[in-house]
Amino acid sequence: MDSSTWLKILGYIITPITAFVVGVTYGGIVRVITARVQNRFGPPITQNFWDIIKLYSKKTAVHHGLMQHWGPVFAITASVTSLFFIPVLKDSPLWLNNSFNGDIIFLLYMMVFGSLGMALGAGQTGNPNSAIGVARGLALMVGYEVPFVLALVAIMIQFKTTSIAELMAVQDGFSNWLIFQSPFAFIAAILAFLGMMHYAPFDVTFAPAEIASGPASEFGGKYLALMQTSGSIFTFAKLVLFTDIFLGGAGDLVTLIVKTFLLYMIPVLTGIVNPRYRTEQAITFFWKWPTVFGIIAILIVVL
Amino acid sequence: MISVPVILSVMFLGGVLAWLANRFVPKGASWTAAIIAAFAGYLVFALPSCGGEYTLALGSITLVWKSTNYSALFAMLVAVLGFLGILYSMDFMAGKKNLGYYYMNFLFALGAMLGIVYSQDLVSLFFFWEVMTWSSFMLVIYSGEEKSHKAGIKYFAYSAIGAYLILSAIVILYAQSNSFLLSENVKMFSGMSLGTQIMVISFLALGFGVKSAMMPLHVWAPEAYKESPSGFTAVFSGALSKMGIFGLGLVVFKFAANTEFFVYVRETLAWLGGLTAMLATFYAVIQSDAKKLLAYSSIGQLGYIIVGLALGTPLGIMAALFLTIMHGAFKAMLFMSAGAVYMRTGTTSLDDVSGLITKMPLTFLTALFGIISVAGIPPLGGFISKWMLYQALLETNHYFLIIVIFIASTAAFLYLYRFIFSLFLGQREKEFEHVKEVPWSMLVPMMLLTLFVLVAGVFPGLVLDPIGKAMGYLGNFKASWEPQVVFSAWGEKINMQVIAGTIGTIFILGALFIGFKNRKATRVVSTKDIHTAGEIPTENENLTYAVNFNQPFERAIAPILKWSVDKLFNLLGENLESTFEYLRYVYTGNGQTYAMYVILMVVILILFSGSIFGIHL
Repeated sequence: MDSSTWLKILGYIITPITAFVVGVTYGGIVRVITARVQNRFGPPITQNFWDIIKLYSKKTAVHHGLMQHWGPVFAITASVTSLFFIPVLKDSPLWLNNSFNGDIIFLLYMMVFGSLGMALGAGQTGNPNSAIGVARGLALMVGYEVPFVLALVAIMIQFKTTSIAELMAVQDGFSNWLIFQSPFAFIAAILAFLGMMHYAPFDVTFAPAEIASGPASEFGGKYLALMQTSGSIFTFAKLVLFTDIFLGGAGDLVTLIVKTFLLYMIPVLTGIVNPRYRTEQAITFFWKWPTVFGIIAILIVVL
Repeated sequence: MISVPVILSVMFLGGVLAWLANRFVPKGASWTAAIIAAFAGYLVFALPSCGGEYTLALGSITLVWKSTNYSALFAMLVAVLGFLGILYSMDFMAGKKNLGYYYMNFLFALGAMLGIVYSQDLVSLFFFWEVMTWSSFMLVIYSGEEKSHKAGIKYFAYSAIGAYLILSAIVILYAQSNSFLLSENVKMFSGMSLGTQIMVISFLALGFGVKSAMMPLHVWAPEAYKESPSGFTAVFSGALSKMGIFGLGLVVFKFAANTEFFVYVRETLAWLGGLTAMLATFYAVIQSDAKKLLAYSSIGQLGYIIVGLALGTPLGIMAALFLTIMHGAFKAMLFMSAGAVYMRTGTTSLDDVSGLITKMPLTFLTALFGIISVAGIPPLGGFISKWMLYQALLETNHYFLIIVIFIASTAAFLYLYRFIFSLFLGQREKEFEHVKEVPWSMLVPMMLLTLFVLVAGVFPGLVLDPIGKAMGYLGNFKASWEPQVVFSAWGEKINMQVIAGTIGTIFILGALFIGFKNRKATRVVSTKDIHTAGEIPTENENLTYAVNFNQPFERAIAPILKWSVDKLFNLLGENLESTFEYLRYVYTGNGQTYAMYVILMVVILILFSGSIFGIHL
């Protein structure tokens, strides 16, 4: 095997590990920020690592059937596969992985794969709260998908491409970032992003105080550990996708981390200061102003 | 020598034979029908290489039957689904009454569908169209209950309207071209007057639109799909409704393509298809019966197909035809698994059944692959058709239609999850303790179709090859694909080898990890052993969450549903219902009366054709 093949294999290994480390660290930072806003001290930033390590080392594991047993596997498959099809760093063979073999439309569907597997797993537990959470989550998805797709369509028809790599290529200078080239698309997409990240006011799916964490409530031990791993990787994947599409991507890891962190703070800070919507309010929220912004974005491109 | 008349006679004589067999041999009908369907299926697959055209002159009318690349595609769909449907019926229908009647009409319907796709002249097309409607109507009213009669009459009334529209179009065409041959009419169509062109195209589109359940002509479908026996519903939704698509393909690319208003025809159809997809999906979300849910889902999926056809670009047509095949497979899988649940529990109500996964694991697996495929999640077959459809919508600048389609396909997750959750997941109830997996003859068709959606997803080229040939019949359409890679007009590609490989590898690694880590300490507990905040649920406590499952979404779309249902459809529906009250004097539900009408119609046509249409038969 020549060096490029080895580089590729190395890429497949370090990309998910980086995503995991960054995702979990972000999770820890969010806990600290939330605590400070609520006038608490909060756990150390590394707390989420210890939580996951503890869960992985738990001996007993309880499940209600094969579908629940495999639910977290579906989740990790979806998050790692999605990550592999997103160019993490610009022009670096180590971080490109499979990004030239799929496109945005593929990613939209790939991302649902994990939610569906999780939903099936949660469904098998027989816990009514899980089922309620799933019904809410799927309904919410129809809500935020509308502005999100409007924004993506606006961008795709503007540059006549559905490939993320090509979208990154057109944003070669600071002023060419899509956030400045098509601001309305960005507004629509970032509002959809609030729903996608499941922070308040759109945390109807997991709503701990209301439906006892909903879909996740019956998962413990290795299952919860795998789910949290997958969740961290998925968070990072979504952040990188948004950075690639709207913020011009990144040439090195430091830039990537700065950009994704700033992006991540939008849903987190919104979440800290907001109460929770009712599900139908959360859905219809996305069909009002965010959709209007999305339509404006398309009209600007067309006219 | 294999030729079209041979296939048709095998089907129709086989139908009679099955009916006879039922009278003399117990179980004779099902075995006869299965053998006939398998044999006819083999003939259908062997026919294209034999080629050849069969001509039959009946007085001044010439009937021409021929297998084209376009008809071969649909014929294969009919033959495969027909055989699997009959195989499935063997145990599903076992012990039921009137089996001879069932299998005879089943084979007649299959024969009629093959007749439609092989017809190269309008007379035999219309003849087989009527036979298809009749035999499927007989199967809708099979159970003989009041509800099925109602559904059957509704179906027949709509089909009759559609058929008469097609007949009118045929008569108008004949008056102009003096020929019933499809090729002749296509050739002369561009020379006809604008009024004729508009009339013919709208009549044909409406007529075929009824069968493909295009909104607002879909009204018959939910009831008819629900009432027909599941073995046939799989074929009904999977293949029979595709005859409408077959016809629409001819209308759009053979007739409308030669007119000046081609673009308007396409846009109208595309938007009708898009709205059908979205509204039908919303209705599917609020259903509480599995078969009705699937019926609305079917209407919605046919909406996508119509959109793809109407876009008129190579990628759009390819998406439509690919989805035609895939929908045939995955909707048959879903109807078959719903039927399996019905066979074992006696109901398809989503509110009543729950937790069957451990009792019917293979049926669950079929349903799982079915819903993943409908949802368009990679790497199964549904995804490729969705991807091609979106690329086609983008390249043709349908910015807002693509949003409608996206909403429809996202909202589809809601009903799909509800379908699989309510039937197979959730609390395991005591009343379903006795439930067993269905017999092998029902599992084999389901498993074969499951395998097919998987293979078609990973190797789309296998299905795209015959589709590419069919597109060549419709016009000069060129699209590019490799066995595992599909390209769009913008130069994008999806490489299914890489996609399926990545998904498969990670899934297997994950499954190995979760399977082997602490394997000894991993245990399975009952669905009563759950987190309920300290309260221990008693044995008979009902914790199933199934009724009004999608209520949050229902509330959110209430304004949309209210607007469309109450103001538009109800008004239309009420008016139509009161019209049908009168129509019931005409459509009595008695086969003999209908036979009399047909004879009367023929007599009228023969007597007055000269004075009305200026033709002399």
